Amino acid sequence: MSGGVDSSVAASVLVEEGHEVVGMTMSLYDAPPRSPKARGGTCCSPAEVDQAKQVCEQLGIAHYTLDERDRFRTQVIDDFARAYAVGRTPNPCARCNEHVKFGPLLVRAQALGAQLLVTGHYARVQAGRLRRGADASKDQSYFLFAMGRDALSRVRFPLGAWHKQDVRKRARELGLPNADAPDSQELCFVSGGDYARAVEDHLGRLGEGLSRLDAGDVRDEAGRVIGKHRGIHRVTVGQRRGLGISAAEPQYVLRVLPAERAVVVGPASSLRRETLGIEGFRKLADLPTGATFEALVQFRHRSPPVPASVTVYGEAAHVVFNAPVHGVAAGQAAVIYDGDCVLGGGWIASEVDRSHATHGQRRPKDEGEDEDEGEAGPGAS
Amino acid sequence: MINLDHNATTPLDPRVRTAMVDHLARSDHFGNASSVHRSGREARRILESARRKVAAAVGAEALGVTFTAGGSEADTLAIVGVCTALRAAGRPCGVLTSRLEHAAVTASARRLECAGHRVVFVEADRAGRIEFAAVVCALERYGDIGLVSLASANHELGNAYDIQDLVGRVRATRHEVWVHTDAVQAFGKVELNFAGWDVDLMSLSAHKIGGPSGVGALIHRREVDLTPQVCGGGQERGRRPGTENLLGIHGFGVAAELAGTQWHARRAHMDLLRDRLRVGLADRFPDQVVFVGDPEAHVGNTVCAMFPGCSGEMLMINLDLSGIAVSTGSACTVGRVEPSSTMLAMGYDETAARAVLRFSVGVGNCVEDIDRLLEALPGIVRRVREAGSEGRPA
Repeated sequence: MSGGVDSSVAASVLVEEGHEVVGMTMSLYDAPPRSPKARGGTCCSPAEVDQAKQVCEQLGIAHYTLDERDRFRTQVIDDFARAYAVGRTPNPCARCNEHVKFGPLLVRAQALGAQLLVTGHYARVQAGRLRRGADASKDQSYFLFAMGRDALSRVRFPLGAWHKQDVRKRARELGLPNADAPDSQELCFVSGGDYARAVEDHLGRLGEGLSRLDAGDVRDEAGRVIGKHRGIHRVTVGQRRGLGISAAEPQYVLRVLPAERAVVVGPASSLRRETLGIEGFRKLADLPTGATFEALVQFRHRSPPVPASVTVYGEAAHVVFNAPVHGVAAGQAAVIYDGDCVLGGGWIASEVDRSHATHGQRRPKDEGEDEDEGEAGPGAS
Repeated sequence: MINLDHNATTPLDPRVRTAMVDHLARSDHFGNASSVHRSGREARRILESARRKVAAAVGAEALGVTFTAGGSEADTLAIVGVCTALRAAGRPCGVLTSRLEHAAVTASARRLECAGHRVVFVEADRAGRIEFAAVVCALERYGDIGLVSLASANHELGNAYDIQDLVGRVRATRHEVWVHTDAVQAFGKVELNFAGWDVDLMSLSAHKIGGPSGVGALIHRREVDLTPQVCGGGQERGRRPGTENLLGIHGFGVAAELAGTQWHARRAHMDLLRDRLRVGLADRFPDQVVFVGDPEAHVGNTVCAMFPGCSGEMLMINLDLSGIAVSTGSACTVGRVEPSSTMLAMGYDETAARAVLRFSVGVGNCVEDIDRLLEALPGIVRRVREAGSEGRPA
């Protein structure tokens, strides 16, 4: 229970069904005193923990707060900072589901003799398969691939069939204090949406050299220096604004070259990708190894899945899109769907430096104008 | 609910409750003890009566009792208040304490450290014993120490410490150094003798002895200068400004009188239950339970037991869902279970520190309570251990 309206209503559904329900909230980080985080608004902040407690009291169930700060720091925050420092765009919400939420909570469910782990995610588990939630605008199946196949038989997402407005309505009917609390939109552990500052702070804490985050060159695809950036951690692939360069046509970040502290930009057409590699792939269904099959691939939160040919090799997978795509960012999740069923997913691998391969293959400017700053940034689930 | 967490707090003693209800029921009991008029005088009478009872319970004189809003405030006043006054007087103003102390003591020491005072921690062994010779060494080495603070009993382990012996050694080394003892966990379980121990300051709390929470006292020699930690008027001879919590203090007085006169019988009862619990745990978990703490010197109500390979947190939650209240260590955080700082200070690693349960019996417990715990625990331990090492994925 994050303290938000979704997990609160999910708990109430289980209580109404007559189950013996125990509420648990993970304490994930210490909000600095007097920061907005200490007052709530994002999942698992100290104020939200109090909210979860209050909801459980109202529902007449026990509630416990679990100290998972160490695990969250080492598995999610440190990974977030290190990913930016090597030019990747991390997905902390999926990492959190993989390393903090489902694994440890399933162990705790077993330790309590509980049959099910229930969360307020918008997704469905039916016949042993993970499916998208009924509310397409809230679907969180993209973030859930990493929970692993073994978990499917032991989890339940009661809100998978619900629409958000009905969840809020039920919360109001129940008189829950968080019925109309705004959805969390930003990363829980980043104050004021300042990712760059968070990366610097956490890398500093890890004792890692901050020189990697110094200003560096912005190059065009031919390798010419055309500007300066203020640190590779301030840049994500697909970003257009804030680069401080002027050119005849809009320039997008194509690649980040951490070793040279350089950023390569080019026109929208150069963002196109026909393939991507997936590492850390986890199956959520029976998939052939080595054989190619047709599926849908979603490689960003809030972007529609696109048809592709997929080949799985153990813990890696290769995707060939039926038509070129934009906005592929290393470090984000790539999730394979069959219709609305999740077949598996993993992390987008860093592409090999294609600066020579793509040089001279520039396509005419045609599409991708809707690419915007930070589109590939880590959104909150 | 079976309460085996009396070191966290104790239920209100029925005699204390009766006294407090009677006090509330009296329409003339609304006075401010600082007022000159009749209702003020009545309030003053109740206040001073409670003061005498608390003083008598610990072998002190009434003039040396300053009421506070609990044990933590008493510790803060003793440590920050004394050392700040020592510094203002140009005297040695450092603190010597241990890493096993209650957070009120260690946090007070840290505050002083930030303000530039010398702070020295003496180490404890893996049973939580503190070598007083190390205290003497530190006093000889650091001439700027002005206060020694060690608890009479540890809240997590139940270890008892011979404060009379400590005071003797401190006096023999540096006679001008004050000695404070946090006796919150010892009160009602051992005989406290402020004058006999020759100690200078002693913290007490009402809710660990069947009194109400939110009230405590600092016992001190009259000649110890204390800088108040609250700004306000001249209450408690200027040492603790703010209108007195008369109802709470009245309840504290009754509870203290009972603790002072009946500690021996209480102790015999608790010793019996503690021994039954220890023997029962050792029987049911051969090779699977490690008792932590000093087996010789203890206050007779606490069993600190480590269950290697188990998460103490998950054991505690399971027991709670079975209607048995225990603790994983100090419960003074925001309801989330952190590794016991006491265990870490004794040299255990974090995994060990998270594998500990603290059982603390009280006067209201009976043999059946212990037996029900011993019945419930084996199945829970097995389940938690099977779920994964330390409640973590294996």
